[in-house]
Amino acid sequence: MTLDVWGLGLQAVNVLILVWLLGRVFWRPVAGAIARRQDVAQAMLDEGKTAQAKANAALHDVTTTRAGMVQEREDILAEARATAEAARKVALAEAQAKADALMEAAKTSIARETETARKENAARASELSIDIAAKLLDQLATPLVQAAFLAQLVKAITGMSASDRAALVNTTSDLTLVVATDLADAEKARIEREVAEALGGAPQLQFVTEPDLIAGLELRSAHFVLKNSWRADLERILKELKDAA
Amino acid sequence: MNSPLESNVLFLLGPVPITQAIVTTWAIMVVLVLGAFLLTRRLDLRPSRRQAALELLVATLDAQITETTGASPKPYRGFIGTLFLFVLIANWSSLLPGIEPPTARLETDAALALLVFLSVIWFGIRAGGVGGWLKSFAAPNPVMIPLNMLESVTRVFSMFVRLFGNVMSGVFVIGIVASLAGLLVPVPLMALDLLTGLVQAYIFAVLALAFITATVEDGQTKAPETAPAPKTALAPSPTNKDT
Repeated sequence: MTLDVWGLGLQAVNVLILVWLLGRVFWRPVAGAIARRQDVAQAMLDEGKTAQAKANAALHDVTTTRAGMVQEREDILAEARATAEAARKVALAEAQAKADALMEAAKTSIARETETARKENAARASELSIDIAAKLLDQLATPLVQAAFLAQLVKAITGMSASDRAALVNTTSDLTLVVATDLADAEKARIEREVAEALGGAPQLQFVTEPDLIAGLELRSAHFVLKNSWRADLERILKELKDAA
Repeated sequence: MNSPLESNVLFLLGPVPITQAIVTTWAIMVVLVLGAFLLTRRLDLRPSRRQAALELLVATLDAQITETTGASPKPYRGFIGTLFLFVLIANWSSLLPGIEPPTARLETDAALALLVFLSVIWFGIRAGGVGGWLKSFAAPNPVMIPLNMLESVTRVFSMFVRLFGNVMSGVFVIGIVASLAGLLVPVPLMALDLLTGLVQAYIFAVLALAFITATVEDGQTKAPETAPAPKTALAPSPTNKDT
């Protein structure tokens, strides 16, 4: 067995050359391609991380903005509630005032109408009572009542001043004695005599019958009326009742 | 059949005898270099199947180197990878009719073992300087210096003998069987020879890497202050990225 030294050296050189050549044309290019891909992948990862960071920042901003919007919404709602509450109170106060005014006006109107109705009722009651009284008094028109009215007439004439009585006596127009019922001639003469005595003269007297007097005796001229009857009394009472009402 | 221990000289190039193993080696070199050139012409960021297969080969080799050395694979990739590819292709060249694998010859295996021996020295000096490399023989203590020096030769010699014995024996057995039993009988043996060739290529490359790593680590741990700073970063790198 022999070892070819030339062959050993040549093979060693061959393998060294092969190591160098493959390093140039195979190992380095392929490793470079792997490294480039790793660089690109790392760059993409870095870019992704950067984008992730930006997205997180944007998300944080959006979250903050949304929280601010929520707070702003709450503030707006609270302000709107406060405004609505104030408006409600104002409207309620205005409505209350209007209602109070309406109630006051209604009360006033009701009071006025009530007063008016009361007065009307009182007037009607007075008239009714006067009518009732007239009907009742009409049944009492007796000669005694007639004599009492005559006495009152004479008394009233007597109470007049002398000038007034003289004016009545000297009046150019006729003096009228109004009675409620037709009288007998004797009664008329007695009344005429007592009236003339009270006047102090001899006036021209004429008798007129007016049932409305109910009972009584009135002296009338063109410019003078001496009321002396139940009718006049009732009208006076009615007037006083109306005035009192 | 010629003796497997004798080389078949084809011609003389001056004083240099050119054997069939050398010519076959040249052919393998041409095939590897041209193939590598053609395969790596258009490498893109979007790899084709071809590029993916090439990158898988390189990535696997880098992973193996990193697992063994714990350092960046860049300084060792070219040498270890070329050793593996050359031994593999040389072993498998026996499948071609009339081709005798160069690794079945003493000169080729001795040359490979010699390169491994020199590479151990080269990477040891490169990592820890001459002092670091020399002190690597004193690991784990100076008493081991003679044994370590003897081991540095014998371990390489064992690689050489192992590779030669396996490949040569396979070729020899197949030749004998083929001469005795015709064409089909050697097929299982040839398939087994394929597996043997792959395993031997792997063992040769891994052992070379282990010897280099042991020397580099011993030189760095024994003389961390006196040794010059290594030209290459041998500390474990978080990534295998290099150009």
